Amino acid sequence: MSSTGMSSTGALGQIDIHANPPVPMSRLVQVEARKAMDTRAGRWFAVSILGLVLVVEVIYALVAEDFDKDYSDFLSIAGGVLGYFLPILIIMLVTSEASQRNGLVTFTLEPRRPRVVVAKFVAGLVLAVGVMVMGAVMALLGTLFGIATGGSPEWSVDANLFFNGFVLANVIGVFIGFAIAMLLMNTAAAIVGYFAYSLILPIAVGILAALSSWFEGVAPWIEFNTAQTPLFMGDYQPSGEEWAQIAVSGTIWLIIPLVLGTMRLLRIEFK
Amino acid sequence: MIKVEGLTRKYGAFTAVDDVSFVAEPGRVTGFLGPNGAGKTTTMRVMVGLTPATHGHVTIGGHLYQDIPNPGLHVGVLLDASAQHAGRTGREILTLGAKTMGLPASRVDEMLELVSLSDTEAKRRLRNYSLGMKQRLGIAHALLGDPSVLILDEPANGLDPAGIRWMRGLLKGYAERGGTVLLSSHLLHEVEIIADEMILIGRGKIVAQGSKEALLADADHSTTLVTSLDNDLLGKALEHKGYGVSAAGSGLRVDAAPVDVGRVAADNTIVLTDLRSADGGLEDLFLALTSETQRDVLPEGAQA
Repeated sequence: MSSTGMSSTGALGQIDIHANPPVPMSRLVQVEARKAMDTRAGRWFAVSILGLVLVVEVIYALVAEDFDKDYSDFLSIAGGVLGYFLPILIIMLVTSEASQRNGLVTFTLEPRRPRVVVAKFVAGLVLAVGVMVMGAVMALLGTLFGIATGGSPEWSVDANLFFNGFVLANVIGVFIGFAIAMLLMNTAAAIVGYFAYSLILPIAVGILAALSSWFEGVAPWIEFNTAQTPLFMGDYQPSGEEWAQIAVSGTIWLIIPLVLGTMRLLRIEFK
Repeated sequence: MIKVEGLTRKYGAFTAVDDVSFVAEPGRVTGFLGPNGAGKTTTMRVMVGLTPATHGHVTIGGHLYQDIPNPGLHVGVLLDASAQHAGRTGREILTLGAKTMGLPASRVDEMLELVSLSDTEAKRRLRNYSLGMKQRLGIAHALLGDPSVLILDEPANGLDPAGIRWMRGLLKGYAERGGTVLLSSHLLHEVEIIADEMILIGRGKIVAQGSKEALLADADHSTTLVTSLDNDLLGKALEHKGYGVSAAGSGLRVDAAPVDVGRVAADNTIVLTDLRSADGGLEDLFLALTSETQRDVLPEGAQA
């Protein structure tokens, strides 16, 4: 070994626990963010999401009516595409600890697991914000392309719509991905679970609601996707009842899985 | 120093580790030896907080592992060299460790050099590594933080003979500088040549512990292999003394200690060309001590 080393051991092989501070949270977050991007899978997934956003924006610019080519239109499309794929980036960040087994090292270098959970979550949010910013840039490019194809866009964006439909919706998606990932701790299962939640569940609930008027009334209380819809409707302000529906369905699909998932991650034996 | 006190780990009705206690001292290499599934890995996992103990506890340098801040700087751990993201390069794996511990990037280069992984190899992804290369990377990872305690699970697994010799030198030198080394193996010969102290474990229980000499002193040397210039005469003389004798290769197998056989030969002025204890030393001891925990029943008198 090159260094003289082992200064941390005093007499009788005792370790001085005041010799060094704990790993700061900022460093854990940096490491977790790096882990999401330092594999081919992670890097290409992020690039692919943004590529897909750009493709969808271009197609939209080509096919949409000229009066529907405002920046806010392009932004909501970017938000929609990101909403489907951003959570998967977070899922991979969490489940790789078990699927790729590097949790053995992660939780040995920081055995206080709640700190790793927080670090992963913050890293996930930072990545999500980064991808959202890139998504907003893609929407800008889409709008410019819209001008080239005959549009005369309105550049102003309703702040409420931007926040609810673009930022909040995606942050909720990140939360859900995080919760499902911790709960299932398996990459494939978590991705399937996420799409079942975001794609199949709303359709199933929709069919049931169409068949039963009673269920139609219950649906927004138990189906989080449906409950969130008012958030994305232009400058519409959700009513008190709609907020309550968001809170109730959010508890079922977000809070409970998040709590159970965190408990599981804190107890699971990484093999 | 690693201190294991009354450690028990149960999985339902199955007891993986059963009331295990031992100490791994600084300045010494302690070998943790046992057949597959004896509880070595579980014990090591409890040491570093990956598995909770059912009863008992382990302290490292006087503390529970979970209570050591930035533990990578104090305790180097290699539990499974393959337990890393297969899509990361060797260098990236070390970089993540160094960044978590707050070490400069130069430390990664130092460790790569120490374990003889070349620049090109370090740029390859883990899925393209041989087991031996993974072990080298794992040892480099364990040494990153210049720890005072090393916990290595089957570190020699997959290393070629030169690699094993290299690791032996590395760990001996490490212990000589005051470090504590605990390494596990299911291969006796590996442990025998590296370890100063040995802990033998079978089916979750410690069956023997001590230095190699102390362990061997306890074994009874009651069978001897002997070859002489006149085996017939020696055989008769031994039988006359009441010892059981049978032919074994070019010599004889005698149910007596070597010293007794030698005495008979001297009394009859027979020249011995080979005289040794027939029990296989530590290996027989190990197999005997763990016999009831072995998966494979050994044929009577077989030398593994």
